[in-house]
Amino acid sequence: MPTIAEPATKPKRIVKKETRSKDDLAPTFYVICWNDPINLMVYVTHVFMKIFGWNKQKAQKHMMEVHEKGKSVLVREGAEKAEFYVHQLQNYKLQATMEPAE
Amino acid sequence: MKLLKNNKDGWQYEMNRREGDCLRSLLNQFPITESNHAKISRTCVEPKTVEREKLLNESMSQHRNDLKKLANNLMSADKLKAGQNGCRLLISPEEREILFQILNDIRVGCWRELGEPENLEPKTSPPSHKELVFYNLMNLAGYFEHSLLKQ
Repeated sequence: MPTIAEPATKPKRIVKKETRSKDDLAPTFYVICWNDPINLMVYVTHVFMKIFGWNKQKAQKHMMEVHEKGKSVLVREGAEKAEFYVHQLQNYKLQATMEPAE
Repeated sequence: MKLLKNNKDGWQYEMNRREGDCLRSLLNQFPITESNHAKISRTCVEPKTVEREKLLNESMSQHRNDLKKLANNLMSADKLKAGQNGCRLLISPEEREILFQILNDIRVGCWRELGEPENLEPKTSPPSHKELVFYNLMNLAGYFEHSLLKQ
């Protein structure tokens, strides 16, 4: 009786990868700083450097964006971190909010 | 106001007697205005946002109370030293940040009391005594912020 030899390589078991839809992902938020006429430009730059650890050039770029365009998106983060940054910025009395990214 | 030294241990500034008196007087009056309700979002109105906003305002209120205690500490003789010709301010990097927060709380608070004007010069001539006080304190806080940062 003929025998059927086992194949040398067995097909790999296909494991179905679970993917998550966009809606399942944790929501993210933009931390935004809004323009006002009261905060000094040099002060806003200093606060950005302190809170985000940015260099002067990057901090000044965002400060100028606030000044010229009325607002600047500073970072995009999960809820907890975004909330932390808003608390920090508001302790320095900058007008900062967190807005849903999607 | 002049920066004398800046290293990892801290910042040392020299100021004349008048500047020293003004800074002491400003810190002594903190908080000059009532705390303002802070918004955490301009677009979101969902329950989570309301909760976050409540938390933000509680946290800021607590932070303001802490700043009041720290303001007293900044006026202590070992930080703001009166000399023969003026004053010396010796503060750590953390204390410098606290000083910025106190000064800007005063500046922004006065601006709000004035109705958040776009133009920071007095609009009425002459302004009322109350308005004049807020304008002066706002400008004085700005002067110290600028002086501490310019160097």
